[in-house]
Amino acid sequence: MDTAFIILSLITVGGAVWAVTLRNLMHAVLSLVLFFFGIAGFFFYLNADFVGWVQILVYVGAVAILAIFAIMLTHNLTAEDEPEFFSLRWLTGLAVAGAVGAVLWFAIKNNTAMSQVAPVGVASNVADIGRKMMTDWVVPFEVVSLLLTAALIGSIVIAMEQISHRK
Amino acid sequence: MFGHGLLQGLIVTARNFIRSYFDPERLTTVQYPEERVKLPENSRSFPFLVYDGAPDNLRCVACKICEQECPPQCIYIEVERDPKTGKPVRRPRVFDIDYSVCMQCQICAEVCPFDAIKMDQVYELAGTNRFGGMLHNKSALLKSNEYYHQIHPTEADEVDAHLSQSRKKMPGATALSTGPKPPNV
Amino acid sequence: MYNFFDQLIVTLGTWLVGLVVATGNSVSKICCGQTMGDAAAHNVAAGTEIVLICVTIYGVFALCFGLATWLERKMLARIQNRYGPNRVGPFGLFQFVADGVKMLTKEDIVPARADKLVHFLAPAVALAPALLMFGFLPFGRNMAPTDLDTAVIAFFAVGAGSELALFMAGWGSRNKYSILGALRAVAQMISYEIPLVLAAVPVVMIVGSLSTTQIVAAQGADGFLDVSGWFVWTPWGFAGFVLFLIAATAESNRCPFDIPEGESEIVAGFHVEYSGFKFALFFMAEYLGMMAMAGLGVTLFLGGWHGPKLLPSWAWFMLKGFLIVCWLIWLRGTLPRLRVDQLMAFAWKAMLPFALFNIFATAVWFYLPKTTLLQSAVAWLITAALVVAAYWVVSRFVSRRAGAPRVYRYAS
Repeated sequence: MDTAFIILSLITVGGAVWAVTLRNLMHAVLSLVLFFFGIAGFFFYLNADFVGWVQILVYVGAVAILAIFAIMLTHNLTAEDEPEFFSLRWLTGLAVAGAVGAVLWFAIKNNTAMSQVAPVGVASNVADIGRKMMTDWVVPFEVVSLLLTAALIGSIVIAMEQISHRK
Repeated sequence: MFGHGLLQGLIVTARNFIRSYFDPERLTTVQYPEERVKLPENSRSFPFLVYDGAPDNLRCVACKICEQECPPQCIYIEVERDPKTGKPVRRPRVFDIDYSVCMQCQICAEVCPFDAIKMDQVYELAGTNRFGGMLHNKSALLKSNEYYHQIHPTEADEVDAHLSQSRKKMPGATALSTGPKPPNV
Repeated sequence: MYNFFDQLIVTLGTWLVGLVVATGNSVSKICCGQTMGDAAAHNVAAGTEIVLICVTIYGVFALCFGLATWLERKMLARIQNRYGPNRVGPFGLFQFVADGVKMLTKEDIVPARADKLVHFLAPAVALAPALLMFGFLPFGRNMAPTDLDTAVIAFFAVGAGSELALFMAGWGSRNKYSILGALRAVAQMISYEIPLVLAAVPVVMIVGSLSTTQIVAAQGADGFLDVSGWFVWTPWGFAGFVLFLIAATAESNRCPFDIPEGESEIVAGFHVEYSGFKFALFFMAEYLGMMAMAGLGVTLFLGGWHGPKLLPSWAWFMLKGFLIVCWLIWLRGTLPRLRVDQLMAFAWKAMLPFALFNIFATAVWFYLPKTTLLQSAVAWLITAALVVAAYWVVSRFVSRRAGAPRVYRYAS
């Protein structure tokens, strides 16, 4: 472990913990942005600068802004009512967290590519990513774009319905 | 074509930009402390006291009409008294105008039967004291008839003609105004 | 002789780094009795280089920011037949120094109910991306601060951080005008980021690399003139350049896209509640962002530092950037502010389809043979026809509704 890793971990974990614990929702979102930057830093640390920049572009530039817009459109910004310590929410939260953890563990355990040591000091990887995206992974790529288009159309339909109701 | 209006607008502004360097008429800015616009003859700022010839020979007789008529009451007059007899002499001992109170209405000049108080054109007035800084006393207010001719030539000529006429009518009357004059016609 | 001036700054930098390393060696000789090891010397050299690059870029562009404010005021004044600032220094050139001193000495006011931390952080967060963006531009021959494989996407990614800053400023001020301005800013910048990136895509397609150094290298031509390779001479390059300029104007929140500031409607938008030096930082971020965008435009379309060998390469880069800044000022002096709905409609209905058409035209250009002069001419004409046709279609689509009266949903 070197210093860069420790600093990045502190930023990432700190951002994540603040995002969950802070009472002020806006501060929580900004901590989430800090967390995104930490993750991007990890990508840079692992010599995957393309993924790192895309992480910043998509997560900071779009996802965080989306979250901010969502918060802006809600009424209660600071949650004053303390939830009970052991409620049903805790149980569901634990269940979801356990399921996600299990899936991640299973995926990491059975992945052969992950266990390899990442090549250090690779000069160019953008062209490789592009080539892979257009050859091996072209079907998943297209499926994802189809999914996004469907989501886009769906949101437009929902918005259109609201407008027609208002009239 | 789409975008045509945009280009037209750009051409207009470019023309203005370039021509402003070659045509000084376009630049209407007056760079004030160095350049000044000549004031119109009828412009006025604050009142001053007119004297003929020497500063002692002032027209004011301390009748206090202006003091009474002044709407914001910025004029303060005390009559001078003869040191031996204690009788009032027809000239002011104290004549103060507080420019910070004056509202430049010209009523004092209108009501003065002796054409002794007229409106000035000075506007570069500033003081460091808020309460007494703009208080002008008699010596500061006194300005010559020639100065009056300079700033309001037409009006000053009329006043001079009128004064000489009234002096003719009343041979005893002098510039020191030993007797009350008939009110302005 | 030409090479001397061309590489003057590089030579100076190398000399300074050598000086620092030599000083370090002599210091360690005095302290430890021996010179630094190779690894230590390398670290010292690299560190010095980084510091030098940062200081040079920030110093030069901070000065450029000052001069740009002066230039803007002077040009706008002349467009309106006025003199503009002409009191401080010759031609008022030192006006920005006076402004800076004024800003520094002004009282810093924080609203009582503001979100203090966010309000405090926003100006710094706004300035950081604007400064970082300069790190990806090659300023001259051998003068790229970083040589990243992903420089173009890095530039846009860093630029995305400024939206967050505007939002933080608007939210932290707890003022209704601030929040309106911030919402407008975020909506506008997100919308115009798409045409901006899509305008840059053709260049990346033709060069086959995201690296700005390689993009500039691809636009070079042999000989004295060195202008024939600029992408702006190709039809797709010209269309892309126009798209890029419009989107860059919107990205840097400048007139006619300055609705986030909209003085007549929402006072000053997201920076209503900022005074003194915090306001100056926002101002600086806006201008630096504008200059960085101009720099990227030069890099992508105007051949970067390539130019006739009358001036050094870095002078060409600065000159072209300066011309783009002048164009932005000219535009500001000409056009009134857009309405929000016009702004959004223009981004999504005109710029986005046209950018996509342009990408298609670029693909056609890429596959057309261009070995002989005749073939190049034919390829140029075909691509130009495609671009013009796309422009015609899009403009028909846009201007069909241009004359229609606005429909008010809530106010009748």
